[in-house]
Amino acid sequence: MSAEAFVTLATSDSYCMGAIVVARSLRRHGTTRSIVVMVTPNVSQRARLGLEGLFDKVIVVDVMDSEDQLRLSMLRRPELGITFTKLHCWTLTQYSKCVFLDADTLVLCNVDELFDRDELSAAPDPGWPDCFNSGVFVFRPCLHTHARLLEHALQHGSFDGGDQGLLNTFFSSWSEADISKHLPFIYNLTTSSTYTYLPAFKQFGHNAKIVHFLGVMKPWSSQGRTESSQSQNMGRFLTLWWNEYRAQKNCQPPASEGEPPHKFEKTQQVQREGAKSLFSKKLEISDLLLTQSSVQMEEMHSMTEPKDKEEEVKVQEGSKGEEEHHGEMHTTQLTSSEGDFHPEEVKGPSQFLPLSHTPVNSPVDEDMSPSRGSKDIQDSPLITEGLDNSQTKTRVSEADRVREELQRRQLWEAGQADYMGRDAFKNIKKMLDCFLE
Amino acid sequence: MPLARSLSVTSLSGLEEWDEEFDLEDAVLFEIAWEVANKVGGIYTVIQTKARLTAEEWGENYFLVGPYVESNVRTQVELIEPTNPTLKRTIDKMNSSGCKVYFGRWLIEGSPYVVLIDVGFTAWSLDRWKSELWELCDIGVPWFDREANDAVLFGFLTAWLLGEYAAQCEEPPHIVAHFHEWLAGLGLVLCRHRHLPVATIFTTHATLLGRYLCAGNVDFYNNLSEFNLDKEAGDRQIYHRYCLERAAAHCAHVFTTVSHITAVEAEHLLKRKPDIVTPNGLNVKKFSAMHEFQNLHAQSKSRIQEFIRGHFYGHLDFNLDKCLFLFIAGRYEFSNKGADIFLEALARLNYLLRVNHSDVTVIAFFIMPARTNNFNVETLKGQAVRKQLWDTAHTVKERFGKKLYESLLVGQLPDVSKMLDKEDFTIMKRAIFATQRQSQPPICTHNMLDDGSDPILNSVRRIGLFNSASDRVKIIFHPEFLSSTSPLLPMDYEEFVRGCHLGVFPSYYEPWGYTPAECTVMGIPSISTNLSGFGCFMEEHIADPTAYGIYILDRRYRGVDESCNQLTSFLFQFCKQSRRQRIIQRNRTERLSDLLDWRYLGRYYVAARHMALAKAFPDTYIYVPHDPTSTSGFRYPRPASVPPSPALSRHSSPHHSEAEDDDEDERYDEDLEAEKDRVNIRQPFSMPFKNKSSVHGANGNSNGVIDEKN
Repeated sequence: MSAEAFVTLATSDSYCMGAIVVARSLRRHGTTRSIVVMVTPNVSQRARLGLEGLFDKVIVVDVMDSEDQLRLSMLRRPELGITFTKLHCWTLTQYSKCVFLDADTLVLCNVDELFDRDELSAAPDPGWPDCFNSGVFVFRPCLHTHARLLEHALQHGSFDGGDQGLLNTFFSSWSEADISKHLPFIYNLTTSSTYTYLPAFKQFGHNAKIVHFLGVMKPWSSQGRTESSQSQNMGRFLTLWWNEYRAQKNCQPPASEGEPPHKFEKTQQVQREGAKSLFSKKLEISDLLLTQSSVQMEEMHSMTEPKDKEEEVKVQEGSKGEEEHHGEMHTTQLTSSEGDFHPEEVKGPSQFLPLSHTPVNSPVDEDMSPSRGSKDIQDSPLITEGLDNSQTKTRVSEADRVREELQRRQLWEAGQADYMGRDAFKNIKKMLDCFLE
Repeated sequence: MPLARSLSVTSLSGLEEWDEEFDLEDAVLFEIAWEVANKVGGIYTVIQTKARLTAEEWGENYFLVGPYVESNVRTQVELIEPTNPTLKRTIDKMNSSGCKVYFGRWLIEGSPYVVLIDVGFTAWSLDRWKSELWELCDIGVPWFDREANDAVLFGFLTAWLLGEYAAQCEEPPHIVAHFHEWLAGLGLVLCRHRHLPVATIFTTHATLLGRYLCAGNVDFYNNLSEFNLDKEAGDRQIYHRYCLERAAAHCAHVFTTVSHITAVEAEHLLKRKPDIVTPNGLNVKKFSAMHEFQNLHAQSKSRIQEFIRGHFYGHLDFNLDKCLFLFIAGRYEFSNKGADIFLEALARLNYLLRVNHSDVTVIAFFIMPARTNNFNVETLKGQAVRKQLWDTAHTVKERFGKKLYESLLVGQLPDVSKMLDKEDFTIMKRAIFATQRQSQPPICTHNMLDDGSDPILNSVRRIGLFNSASDRVKIIFHPEFLSSTSPLLPMDYEEFVRGCHLGVFPSYYEPWGYTPAECTVMGIPSISTNLSGFGCFMEEHIADPTAYGIYILDRRYRGVDESCNQLTSFLFQFCKQSRRQRIIQRNRTERLSDLLDWRYLGRYYVAARHMALAKAFPDTYIYVPHDPTSTSGFRYPRPASVPPSPALSRHSSPHHSEAEDDDEDERYDEDLEAEKDRVNIRQPFSMPFKNKSSVHGANGNSNGVIDEKN
């Protein structure tokens, strides 16, 4: 059998979080195919490392640094940059057939049967069912097709400015030619359908196989705000997403064991039997969850929460010299998770990943006022320590500074600027004055 | 839409041109705002009304820059090829680099050119630009704040446009870029950072933080200097916006605000004192007939009276001719707009009128949109009952007329006793019975969704003004904007304002305040405060605002209770005026229109631009500031004849401002004709001001200013 693969795409550090969930959920449900991720050059090295253990292949796609035709296309239509990156999947000719999954999807059961379909199979878009949604589709990598796609893009552009418009005009016969290329909607259940057609969702929603978090609000950006603004159903999928994401942190090996930090996928699952069974149980009963009230959801969480934490603490006990911090960290987390699980849940995972939201040990931490952001930072020494151990503590201060900068910016972008500390306007003003004569 | 006013009562001597000797040479002006051809809030009005004057001044070299919003473009903009070759090259270049930039004429008065940038189309650059912004000044923008992300895109795109334009010019250009509000502010910062040959102006119409703090019921003005700005902004989750705003204010060559009160606010909240205040104007259309606005007032008033007849059916125990219509209108911000103290003052006024056995009835309208379930039955029934009475009277009249006619045809004088027969009496009696009413006339015209928690209704309950027969002050709350298609009060806002006697706007936070300005142009007196931009402006320009029907409440240096007493005394004074006095007062008010016309106020913008050019290009331009008085502009003199009533009533009214006390003896106490008054004010220099004003430089003085600082 020639190789087949699931392909996803991460265009920024935060999308890497999504890609991780895609990979994990595929693995959990025992796919027999390879899993490949394409990343753009702007994705940081650290985030890329985080993907390497999970995916069979991490491919860096730099359209500006590729063969002439593509680069030319990019120069002529810069607004289609991301689209060109996505089209790049057609060049993965080492595989005979692929299924593309957007990084903002979540796989709820084994979907290997998708490989029985032919190019180009996709599910209808809820907004315009005569178009397919390009979040999930089956395709055959082929350089010739790729070239034709590029040519098409240059000639016709994309009616919606993205890949979906382009692909829909390219595969324009999709809506009527061959019904076998119509994937059922449950393979690309967009979360907006819960309010556009609620009765149908109630009837069929529990069959969902792949959930697609369409729209501006991505699961990784929910920040605990979701509860109020989103529908209940959406909220449940979000919880599932976060469970999947959290599952990973429990699988992270203790840093002191000196293993490569991200090669945990297979081995760690055994180690973390307890946690795993809890989460897989949760995912197995995800159908049930869909029909349960959110109150029960929360109950489940309050049940699992403390156990997770004990687990964490145990894991960390391996690393030396951290006991003092431990006590602190443990209590903070416990107190902070009282009541609703969201704030903790949102922040929890990010701390255990060398990803975009990883807080870094920084001098400001001490004088942070107990505001929203502080929890993050109080917890952070542990994680940083863990990372440093694994990376043999040879970091020069320059690299630290860069990391710190990155982290500061991420806090800003999460609406948590340290406005009483170093982000005070007087410092901004100094920077402004540099160029004002 | 320009507000109409009459031609004949304009032309005040004081408003001569500032004849500037300022050669603009080849300069071009870009005016950049998020609300160009895109109505979101009040800035749209400012830019849209000002465009004509600016277009006249700059001609082909004036470009407004805004966001491309398809629905707006379809209705307001005619897309054309760029006329200016440099700009055409600029736009072509940008469009070939992945932008969508449009050029057209904005179909408003003056039909200025607009450059519209499709912000969403360039969203693919957001990440890169945010990184650049971070490198530049350490400001990050949260992903969830869509408006701020748009501001980043818009800022980078406008800076790109200006930079590209400068690059496309053959000779080093002189560009003036005027940025409005924080949403456009980033473009300014980038211009400075890239050292573009651009003279930059930044105008805030209100500060972000001020708006938030006032909405939060903070004792704002007394603590202005004490706020920890970073903390206040951060706690309110607007730190990034505040940083953008403050960065723009900091980087601008010239920083302006719309009023003196906002200038004080900006000085403390943005830490920069505005270089010049640029007040907002209106486009004043001139009527051909004299005193046309008075006729319009009478027409509109009678329509409001009709509504009142219906609304108060069964309780019409007051004389409609002695009935004064007061109104407050605007966004429903209960305390920011001063509805709280207005209600309290109405309660006190009610008491005063009752103990003085006044025959005046005051009806106060609250026009503030809130959430409703449409009109309530009782109000609609009122209008139906009125209509029925009208129809009945009409039927009886017809029959009466027919009998009269027949009687005259046969050459007899009619027998009056037989003119109305039994049947007529029956239908009339039935109609009268239909007007019986057990309940009080309703306060609110609509079914409120939050009846129990509505601040106006709760205040009314507390002060107990329930439109009962003994109350001399009645209240009608219309929680919806007015519309000429309404079944209840079929008038649009302008007609309604014209029909009222007094607009009451005792706002606590009001950076400019178009509502009292509109009243003024329509010749309707108004009450504003010294915390509103309009109030400050009038106080500065008019010697005795009260005489001109501009009552300015002191809310800055007085407690709430004192302000409330002052408001009560204003209202009471107003109620004591005779009809004739009110007419004279309206004439005077209307005469202030010129002050609010862009033709006059535009000069502040002109000065700001000159100042910026001189700062940015000191080798080419020199800005000579006017003598200190000129920025404070022209001050209206005291009118020749002061309406006697306020002067007389002063001793009896409990509170009044001290400033008005010292000169009563010198005032003319005569009841001059409005016409005569107008003639007098045309020669302000011949007026016998002995006490306050020192008329100086009567003929030579460039502004004809009467310096009023004692």
